[in-house]
Amino acid sequence: MTTPPKIRDLAHRLVACEAVATRTTEPRKSATLRVYEKLRDGLSEFAGVAGFESIASRALALARTEAPSLDAVRVSSDGELHGLERDLGEIEHPIDIDKDRAGESQAGEGEIILIARILGLLLLFLGEAIVLSLLRVTWPGAAFDDRNSENGRNE
Amino acid sequence: MSTQDKVTIHQLPTGVPGLDEIVGGGLPEFSFNIIAGAPGSGKTTLAHQFVFANATPERPALYFTVLGESTIKMLRYQQQYTFFDPAKLPDSIRFINLSQVVLEKDLGAVLEEITKEVEKANPAVVVVDSFRTMVRKPQSDMDLQSFIQRLALFLASWQATTFLIGEYAEEELRDNPIFTVADGLFWLRQTAERNSIVRKLQIIKLRGQDSVPGLHTFRITDAGVQAFSRTFGLSGHAKNPPSHRRLSFGIAELDKMLGGGVREGDSVLVAGSSGTGKSVLATQFIAEGIRQGEPGIVAVFEERPQAYAERAASLGLDLETPQKDGKLTILYLRPLDLSVDETMHSILDAVQKIGAKRLVIDSLAGFEMALSPGFRADFRESLYRMIFALTGIGVTILSTVEVDESFTEFPFSTYSISFLTDDIVRLRYVSIDGQLRKIMVVIKMRGGNHAKDIREYEITSKGVVILGKRLTNYQGLISGIPVRSDRPDSTAEPSLDTGIEHKP
Repeated sequence: MTTPPKIRDLAHRLVACEAVATRTTEPRKSATLRVYEKLRDGLSEFAGVAGFESIASRALALARTEAPSLDAVRVSSDGELHGLERDLGEIEHPIDIDKDRAGESQAGEGEIILIARILGLLLLFLGEAIVLSLLRVTWPGAAFDDRNSENGRNE
Repeated sequence: MSTQDKVTIHQLPTGVPGLDEIVGGGLPEFSFNIIAGAPGSGKTTLAHQFVFANATPERPALYFTVLGESTIKMLRYQQQYTFFDPAKLPDSIRFINLSQVVLEKDLGAVLEEITKEVEKANPAVVVVDSFRTMVRKPQSDMDLQSFIQRLALFLASWQATTFLIGEYAEEELRDNPIFTVADGLFWLRQTAERNSIVRKLQIIKLRGQDSVPGLHTFRITDAGVQAFSRTFGLSGHAKNPPSHRRLSFGIAELDKMLGGGVREGDSVLVAGSSGTGKSVLATQFIAEGIRQGEPGIVAVFEERPQAYAERAASLGLDLETPQKDGKLTILYLRPLDLSVDETMHSILDAVQKIGAKRLVIDSLAGFEMALSPGFRADFRESLYRMIFALTGIGVTILSTVEVDESFTEFPFSTYSISFLTDDIVRLRYVSIDGQLRKIMVVIKMRGGNHAKDIREYEITSKGVVILGKRLTNYQGLISGIPVRSDRPDSTAEPSLDTGIEHKP
């Protein structure tokens, strides 16, 4: 089962927030990894390091079914992600979220799926209200409400 | 030093329906409290209710989780309760996991971490869940005692009201420094009684104010923990002065037998075997009250309200209209797992809602059956508390009770509860002239005159109808097998007793 578009869109918006925060010319790996790290920080405080690690491991296992490129990626016991940097090291073009959202860009799809899977698990376990509240703390300026924008993205 | 100079301890709402009454108005601000109990007894839910009731963005709550139930799972379940407002997260309520520091470091580091977060957030409420797992690692008593002292001192100084949650056994109450330091100690118990779970709460200690002593029933519903005070929430209510007003049954002859009717605020017991018309009499009592502008409550246990109203209609008594008009509530209390306190809570709610003056409990046998087996042992004591509480606020209670018909005895009830009642009306079958007929007698009326007469009655389409005058041409009527005498039936008016109390 693939990640629902709504959740993938949420992952895109988080990555976009991070990219915008560093003037969009930031390489993709930095934005995506920063999203992961911010989720890790926030959730580790909230649910404990082990709590985040277990969610991240499960998310990675689910993401691999959609993105075989994640096969080499590992989550360590402290929740740190290993292997993603190497895979993405060759990506040098700036982020193009619209292209990626439209499915036209295959590069970096794996890590978006991973972020989406983490969000999906959180939504499954905690529900939208709590998850969005937590995300708003980390990304205070971001709009996560679909009603705020066309196609679910804040323009 | 005058009383004006004494410090005022503000009370915080517990967020648990019924608990404010039990703790004496609310939880003392800045107090350091323990919630103890076995797994599944509702400790975390109680703490959450307190947190959600008191946390604000300006003075948030810090909820420290340690080892044990994961935060994600805890919130997954807790958000099912109606009190859980996700919008309060994380501005008003922050969850912080301390597992790592507890696992890897000592209590000093734990205290440091808590201190850091408290100084940062300036919380009004702090919860540690579970404190027991936090201090489970081996350490000297002095370490533990010092940690608890410093934690309690720090949190109180920072003006936080604290709950430490722990799975403790009662034998641990001795020699554990945590219980010495605590200002409040809430103990939650749950026991399995046959097929039912009985949950009870005790405030073992609460500094600074009077709490209601004893074990209080509580229930966990989709609204969270709900507590039922042993005083039924009426401890602060002034008792009504004794009333001399008489309430009519709507049966003129019975009113005469009662010396003019039931005294307002009395507890009346109508006892008799199956089919003697106890429920009919009770229905007439409540219907007459409504006719006279006195709202009523009928608590039924053995049949549904609709069936009860339909049976009343067959006697020409309309219970549907007063229900629609808010003058009558027929409570059907679901059977098998109730406590008296919960039943009382339902009845009191209904009494207060419609301003009821009359209450019918039909029947005590059904009431007892509706209780969880674990509560049946306390039935008499609970009934005493209930009757005392309700009559104290001026409600007149009529209870029906089924007694086993005996032709050698004349029991008033099977519960030895007749001492709880002010008035007793006994119904019974007698064998007369080859017929099984019915007689009625007023056994006692506390503080009032009543007829000594034994009267025959019938149940007709108009309800209970008392026939003729007293039966003077029979002897041994109360045995159920009377012997005809040569004396004619009396034509005299009912003769009144002077209110001598009969001992059952």
